[in-house]
Amino acid sequence: MSPARTRFAGAALGAGTLLLTACSGTSGTSSASHDSINYALPANFTPNWILPIGTAAHLNTNNISIANTLWEPLIAYDGSTGKIAWNKAGSVATAADFAADNKSVRITLGDRHWSDGKPITSRDVQFWYDLIKANKAQWAGYNPGKAPDNWTSFKAEDDRHFTLTFDKAYNPQWMLANELNSITPLPQHVWDKGGDPKQVWTFLNNAAKNIAGYQKDALWKTISGPYAVKSFSTSGKVVLTANKKYDGGEKPGIPTVNLLPFTTADAEKNALRSGSVDYGYIEATDLDQKGSFTGQGYTVKPWSGWAITYMPYNFNNPAMGAVFKQLYARQAIQHSIDQTSLAKVVLNGTAVPGYGPIPQGQASDFLSPVQKDNPYPFSTSTARKLLTDHGWSEQGGVMTCTEPAKCGEGVAKGTKFEMQVLSQSGSTVTDNMMSAIQSAFAKTGIKFSIKTAPVNSVLSQTPQCTAGQSICKWQLSFFGTAGSWYFNAFPTGDSLFQSKGGSNFGNYSNPEVDKLISASTTSSSNQAIQDYSAALAKDLPVIWLPEPVYQISVMKNGLGGFWQDSLANFHPAQWKWTS
Amino acid sequence: MTAVLHTTVVAEPVAGYRLSLRRFARNKLAVAGLAVVVLFLLFCFVGPLLYSTDQTHTDLTQVNLAPGGAHLLGTDAVGHDELGRLMYGGKISLLVGLASGLLATVIGTLWGAVAGYAGGWVDAVMMRVVDAGIAIPALFILLVVSAITSPGALGLIVILGLVSWLVPSRLVRAETLTLKNRDYVLTLRATGGTHGRAILRHILPNSVSTIVVAATFQVADAILLVAYVSYLGLGVQPPSTDWGGMLSAGLTAAYSGRWWLIVPPGLAIILVVCAFNAIGDGLRDAFDVRGRG
Repeated sequence: MSPARTRFAGAALGAGTLLLTACSGTSGTSSASHDSINYALPANFTPNWILPIGTAAHLNTNNISIANTLWEPLIAYDGSTGKIAWNKAGSVATAADFAADNKSVRITLGDRHWSDGKPITSRDVQFWYDLIKANKAQWAGYNPGKAPDNWTSFKAEDDRHFTLTFDKAYNPQWMLANELNSITPLPQHVWDKGGDPKQVWTFLNNAAKNIAGYQKDALWKTISGPYAVKSFSTSGKVVLTANKKYDGGEKPGIPTVNLLPFTTADAEKNALRSGSVDYGYIEATDLDQKGSFTGQGYTVKPWSGWAITYMPYNFNNPAMGAVFKQLYARQAIQHSIDQTSLAKVVLNGTAVPGYGPIPQGQASDFLSPVQKDNPYPFSTSTARKLLTDHGWSEQGGVMTCTEPAKCGEGVAKGTKFEMQVLSQSGSTVTDNMMSAIQSAFAKTGIKFSIKTAPVNSVLSQTPQCTAGQSICKWQLSFFGTAGSWYFNAFPTGDSLFQSKGGSNFGNYSNPEVDKLISASTTSSSNQAIQDYSAALAKDLPVIWLPEPVYQISVMKNGLGGFWQDSLANFHPAQWKWTS
Repeated sequence: MTAVLHTTVVAEPVAGYRLSLRRFARNKLAVAGLAVVVLFLLFCFVGPLLYSTDQTHTDLTQVNLAPGGAHLLGTDAVGHDELGRLMYGGKISLLVGLASGLLATVIGTLWGAVAGYAGGWVDAVMMRVVDAGIAIPALFILLVVSAITSPGALGLIVILGLVSWLVPSRLVRAETLTLKNRDYVLTLRATGGTHGRAILRHILPNSVSTIVVAATFQVADAILLVAYVSYLGLGVQPPSTDWGGMLSAGLTAAYSGRWWLIVPPGLAIILVVCAFNAIGDGLRDAFDVRGRG
């Protein structure tokens, strides 16, 4: 073959490869027996933290799930029993008795033991409490004013009873579901090196940074959960083996659990097709291939999440912040979102419309009728009218402020209604959703441009900011391909929508809403959180979007005996091969 | 006197080009390639005038329709007419491919001509820059820059042009090294002609065959590169698209039987890239003095 012909063939091969890549897959080895299970971790996630105390750099629900199989939480308040409730079988505590004034709680521990035979006592809980109190700023679960700030004392009565006192009365359900659920008894007799909580914190965090040591370091051998680490690869594969000394209520159903990492969802899907994954997932766009998976001996089952999905506005953006601060402008934007079609068509029926701050994928007592009934139904004509009534007129296809007195405070004459979203990349569904939203906005006269980046870049490029900062150029952000925000069991918005809340990315601020959020955490009635639900459904602190399922699970037939936890945690001890 | 000399030496290649054209016309594969390129240019740039579709707005009531009367090549996942999208995406693929290929050729030609003509340490430094650039895969640079800037069509042209000029520069330098010692160049220098004149009036015109062949391959490579980048989701942003982006968007349909989302853009890329390479092969054979008779 002449050089010229070689080049010609090479070019054809290159172009052909691009086409063939679209149709190719990879193969793998299938799970050998029912003594083990291969579970697919989310694409692009590598387990990297074993310590059952999250820090911001390692905050990930999958890390937490792995840690919870090794060290059982004090109070497992999750969706693993089919509803969001306290799963006592998976908890070290057996009772939590609130005082009549709701200002303290008395906890009773079960008769439980560490894997080295020592009993689990109140001292082990106090060890966690002291660590968090002394190092709260480094703890990922910390929000100023909340735990541990609002816990004023820890008093151990005996080995199996202690009382935690609060700074004021709290809604017991909120306290159990959102604060006490974060406590994990730790093996004080093994981990307490030196007694000073700050030194111990540093010691434990340094040890936890050594992923290669997870398998052999004696520190991680004393456990209370149903599984122990058999191997923990820095590349992401984790093998768990049943803890034979476990004396809790959730005995492991499968002796060996293999947690498999994947760089992309397509790679995971190909592994599913090859049969090497027993419990994996597909994307919403793949739902029409359900038959091919069921034909291969799988069951396809959506995993609903206790989450909301949204696009935060940057209210401090120098160009569009003043526009976003106008309620009529936010209403026009929300009227332009056709949630029903997005959920049904783009998300293939795997999502439900979400009109406010309470998840709507599952029935709950927290949802207000206002949010449920959608105060801003899809109508681009209504959206246009809202804008034209407030001093905007269409020029060159884009709404432009022509009467600043009507446009609102800070909106200058000539301001164009142009906004850009920094959206999470890597998902065809998200790309399609953004295209559909862009199209609807164009009908309203809003120019909407889309920039994409990996989700970690989106999060790092859209922080809380002030108008003068160079990082404050972002206008809208989207990181919700699998849901933007997963709540604790009690879906309060203290960190999301409270003024200066830790995850209030766009600096939304409304004193009335702040009061409602505070009331929802302290009142023992659900009316408080319903009022909060109604207020934010109407005030639109973000663009509300359809709530996708956490994932569309694909499970080998015969795998059962468990519920998919809507708080997005996985619980290997509950998995069983039923046939 | 000088002008007469120049006219004489520049005129000779012109006659050669006529001969080359005849040789090119006899190469059936090259002519077929040219026909394919012309057809695709007509399809992408004239086609939308005859087959008008809305490629700006989505239509969620018309998603994933199979080819039929209303939509000859069906619709995609957000309701765009696929045939119209093929034209729309092709415009960007061809435009980016052609423009960046030409930009790369221009940069590479100037760089290679200056390096080869200057010689000495200037040549050494300039070509070490080229060596260093070639050592880094263009696709890698492209992916990094695309991830940072999220470029549009113009951005892609510039980025592709800036990462693809290295090979043409080597070819032109080699050609320059042989040409700079020819009598007509030496005579020009002896009669007071400037270096710039020597390069622009003598060396580059006599390197045209090399440059044209290189440009053809550059265009083919650029179309493929932009397809790679878009396939990986780092190409032009919606509602714009190109063939690589269409292929990427259709990826999830591979197992759903929606062949019309994958096969047309895939075939278009293969055909156009092969066509440009066939033209390049044909031009190389046509300009090859060894085959003349």
